[in-house]
Amino acid sequence: MMPELSFNIDHGYLEGLVRGFKCGILKQTDYLNLVQCETLEDLKLHLQSTDYGSFLANEPSPLSVSVIDDKMREKLVVEFQHLRNHCLEPLATFLDYITYSYMIDNIILLITGTLHQRPINELISKCHPLGSFEQMEAIHIASTPAELYNAVLVDTPLAPYFIDCISEQDLDEMNIEIIRNTLYKAYLEDFFNFCKNLGGATAEVMCEALAFEADRRAFIITINSFGTELSKEDREKLYPCCGNLYPDGLSKLAQAEDYDQVRQVAEYYASYKELFEGAGTNPGDKTLEDKFFEHEVKLMKHSFMHQFQFGVFYSYVKLKEQECRNIIWIGECVAQRHRAKIDSYIPIF
Amino acid sequence: MTLCQLFLQSEASYAVVSELGELGIFQFKDLNMKVNAFQKKFVSEVRRCEEMERKLRYIEKEIKKEHLKIPDYGENPKAPAPKEMVDLEATFEKIESELREVNTNAEALKRNFLELTELREVLRKTQTFFTAQGQEMSNIVGEAQHALVHDEGTTSGQAVQLGFIAGVIPREKVPPFERMLWFACRGNVFLRYEEIQQSLEDPQTGEPKIKAVFMIFFQGEQLKARVKKICEGFKAALYPCPESSQERQEMFRGVTTRLEDLKTVLNQTEDHRRRVLVGAQKEIRSWIIKVEKIKAIYHTLNMFSFDISHNSLIAEGWCPIQSLEDVRRVLKDGEKLSGSTIPSILHPMKTHETPPTFFKTSRFTQGFQNIVNAYGIATYEEVNPAPYAIITFPFLFSVMFGDAGHGTLMFLFGLWMVLKEKSLLAAKSNNEIWNTFFGGRYIIMLMGLFSIYTGMIYNDAFSKSFNIFGSAWKSNYTEGDMMGDGETATLVFDPAKYYRDSTPYPFGIDPIWQSAKNKITFLNSFKMKMAVILGISQMLFGVCLSVFNHLHFKIVIAIFCEFLPELIFLLALFGYLIFMVYYKWLVFDVTQSGCAPALLIQYINMFMFKYDPPKSDCDVQATFYPNQQTIQTVFVIAAVASVPVLLLVKPFYLRSVHNKKVLAKNALGALSTDALIPNEHTSEQSTSKNVTHVETPSVSGEGSSDIEMGTQPPPAPEKDTNENGKSQSKQNGGDDMKDINLSVNNIEDTSAMVLAHDDDEEEFEFSEIFIEQAIHTIEFCLGCISHTASYLRLWALSLAHAQLSEVLWNMVLHIGLSMDLPYIGSLIIFAVWMAWANLTIAVLLVMEGLSAFLHTLRLHWVEFQSKFYRGEGYIFLPFSFKHILDIDSLDELK
Repeated sequence: MMPELSFNIDHGYLEGLVRGFKCGILKQTDYLNLVQCETLEDLKLHLQSTDYGSFLANEPSPLSVSVIDDKMREKLVVEFQHLRNHCLEPLATFLDYITYSYMIDNIILLITGTLHQRPINELISKCHPLGSFEQMEAIHIASTPAELYNAVLVDTPLAPYFIDCISEQDLDEMNIEIIRNTLYKAYLEDFFNFCKNLGGATAEVMCEALAFEADRRAFIITINSFGTELSKEDREKLYPCCGNLYPDGLSKLAQAEDYDQVRQVAEYYASYKELFEGAGTNPGDKTLEDKFFEHEVKLMKHSFMHQFQFGVFYSYVKLKEQECRNIIWIGECVAQRHRAKIDSYIPIF
Repeated sequence: MTLCQLFLQSEASYAVVSELGELGIFQFKDLNMKVNAFQKKFVSEVRRCEEMERKLRYIEKEIKKEHLKIPDYGENPKAPAPKEMVDLEATFEKIESELREVNTNAEALKRNFLELTELREVLRKTQTFFTAQGQEMSNIVGEAQHALVHDEGTTSGQAVQLGFIAGVIPREKVPPFERMLWFACRGNVFLRYEEIQQSLEDPQTGEPKIKAVFMIFFQGEQLKARVKKICEGFKAALYPCPESSQERQEMFRGVTTRLEDLKTVLNQTEDHRRRVLVGAQKEIRSWIIKVEKIKAIYHTLNMFSFDISHNSLIAEGWCPIQSLEDVRRVLKDGEKLSGSTIPSILHPMKTHETPPTFFKTSRFTQGFQNIVNAYGIATYEEVNPAPYAIITFPFLFSVMFGDAGHGTLMFLFGLWMVLKEKSLLAAKSNNEIWNTFFGGRYIIMLMGLFSIYTGMIYNDAFSKSFNIFGSAWKSNYTEGDMMGDGETATLVFDPAKYYRDSTPYPFGIDPIWQSAKNKITFLNSFKMKMAVILGISQMLFGVCLSVFNHLHFKIVIAIFCEFLPELIFLLALFGYLIFMVYYKWLVFDVTQSGCAPALLIQYINMFMFKYDPPKSDCDVQATFYPNQQTIQTVFVIAAVASVPVLLLVKPFYLRSVHNKKVLAKNALGALSTDALIPNEHTSEQSTSKNVTHVETPSVSGEGSSDIEMGTQPPPAPEKDTNENGKSQSKQNGGDDMKDINLSVNNIEDTSAMVLAHDDDEEEFEFSEIFIEQAIHTIEFCLGCISHTASYLRLWALSLAHAQLSEVLWNMVLHIGLSMDLPYIGSLIIFAVWMAWANLTIAVLLVMEGLSAFLHTLRLHWVEFQSKFYRGEGYIFLPFSFKHILDIDSLDELK
């Protein structure tokens, strides 16, 4: 019965809040100003006049890009935690789902780090705070996926996703990548089904966004797998089955052997065709990754056109992520005095 | 108010801006609006200030951590010279680095201390544990072994080497830690933990933390490595713990002595830290103010444009004409201070921009000005309604709130706030509601005072009357009449018989009305008419105020075509209504009152032109006075006639003026080209020149009429036709429909010409002006009617207030007072009084007061100010340290 009618009772405040947050996202004019910065101090000065306010005020000079990154991330996390602390079901679960992807990234980061004999404390500080969980710090005791599951992950919400990758093999780079992608596949499919079950505008918006995410992963996995020892059958197992490519596109992708074949698969899908057409590797061209990001930004912006749905929360986090990437990119360019490519950020509004 | 340019020597500019900031008389315009924040001239100085602020914040934080109070002496140091900025920077740098050093030292010491205390706890706990379990390690081993491998009873006899490690972990992490150990080691370890009673201090944040000592028993090296990894993951601190009891005790002693040593060192560090902070504590407030001021100055300097050739800064901004001398003086002082040889110059500029509006206010008038400003800032040099509001606002409020008792309470509240002003201001409350009330303290006081006055007139205090002058009514009824059966209802005082003498009651309403059955009917008639009279008077006053606007802005036409018709309309219709009210009050006495004509019917008949001859002696349709028909007819016609005047005259007048101006300009252009002809000597050239000169009109003419252009007339005649067309349209005005094409053409021409010849002139849009005037006319005429009705809220709210307070009295306190209970009654009346008093405050004073306040506000904003007030200005915001530091409240008291 008309979930829109009662939506605002439980989630109206938070939706309003997140729409307000959205207004603080940097605009094209802000980027134009940022690009002109000579030093990171200039960058800080300009960011102060935006919604970021005095988030860098207590940092002693000289600034570094990583400090800016940390602070921006901290701001996003504070906002997100505020939303999470004030929400009711089913939004609470929805927001938790958003954090799972960060948890997956953190686990992979930690495992890879331990493989390379890096001290755990150094690794922990690199983890995204949105995806931190209690058992995270003990991850380095595991040497096989089975151990990882039994000792660390069994109590986390990721446990069900992990079932598929339990094996007694030792962890190595290849394995880790497979774990990451299997986890992601399971996560995306689960999230997709969750949103679908929520129904209404949420399903409409989120299924589109997650389908795109799934397809993007499928493309990226395929392209990255060329020239590695990953077999085609294994590769096919990693594709998330909730995208627009499923099932025909995915089976074709599984057969692809080089970039051009991937491209041919994309030809069948209008929106992806465009992305592949615009992308190139020549200097001055946008990379396929950037093209995907651009498309994602477009989708996320569209989700704000719908009301009474949870997609805005997801979109906000994603857009903010993109903004962080943009600012970090510009910051790095400024810091390294490498201004030629400073314009390849992805404007949001 | 005037726009000024300041040419400042770059050396002097800092001192000048600083001084202007102290005075707060100059509003700077941002001349670098389009420049990026980080490309401005003084951006590095601003950044230095921010760095200083950061350091100050750090010091402040440290001071607060130490629970030291930052004293507020209300000091207001001047902004230090730029040279001193370096000193300040150095001081802050020194304090900050000193603090940081001390802090890192203290932190290291504290960490050391924490580790030692933890070690001591570990030793103590293990000791007690082992003593409880048995003296020897082997026993424990056996037991633990038994616990761990209990199912393999046969192998228990073998001596298996069991190792153990001990450490400390935050209490909240114990359960996950235990679980993780269990999972990771598949149940092959044995964990014991115990809480540390003494709370430990986190060395970084200084917050107390509760931790637990744990001991883990395990078997084999592999498990040891694994357990150690888990401990590392959970950030548990591991401590070496000797196996034998004796070694443990020795170690315990050693640790205890080292702890004592550390404690003294720690205390010394703390003392040192405290000394540094106490030194900073006294000064920090003035430092903060100084740095804020420096920052504000550089922000202002960033708004100036820089003239490299003269090494000077150019500032633009608004300044009240009165303060120009002050600005000049400041400039001179700045010169002296900086020692620059080239003088700084103040140069007033002429401009078309509207200056900001600035009113000097005092503590008393501020509240009233705020009320007006909330509606809209007065257009520059417009009549300011605030001074009139000082009286009318509390008065209209009191008409609605009329109750001497409630008024007294309100007055006392306002008076208390006014008398305690200083201490209340110093308290600096953050409560928004309180600040609102406090900001309006003078308004509240006056509202209370006026309410006492109207309350006396209504003879109403807590719904009771004062009997000061006695009653002017006498009663001939005997007690028998009063107690008579059933007839009491008909006992009515006939004013003809029972009013003692014919003179009016000395002041206010006779108290006898309080007990009368027809009290409401009587008061309604009185209050309603009063409301109408007050309302119309205020509107009339507003219309009269508009004259001053017209006079000041020298719009003579508006006086005759706006003010006069408005005045006639208002007076003829509503002024006459007042007259009739008074007439009826004065002329008809008790004996005729039954036959007095009804006001309402009379008023309606006036518009219907309905004058029936009286059917009898006592006919309410009859006229009031002879010749009433003639007079009323004249009034209605005058009022109706004034509407078209109001609507039409001004726009057409403005258009004709504008057309004349354009013509004059044209003629001027023609003359100059005529003068050019003889110089050029060739008529052909001149013709072509002329054609190019009047290019725009001729081109537009081409589109409209081919015949005209086809003949190719010489330029001068063409002008004539233009002129003719214009004069024609001027003569005919807009009334003549036939010429509308022509006139439209001409307007196009003229606008094109204006664009071609004069860029300064504003574009003249006739339709816009006409529509604006039409809206104004409709608004005024309908407004007069609806606003008059709107003023009836005076009556309605006053009635509501009186009734509410009467109900409250009758339903609450009256019941308590009429109880006939000895002794207990006093207790009950106490409780009842509480209820009554609380309700009086909450409902009658606060709620009713707010509602009456809102209605007064509306009457002023809509009904009164719409008659003359445009409110299209913007406020004067001078560059002032007071605003920036938000210490104005402090300064005001000095």
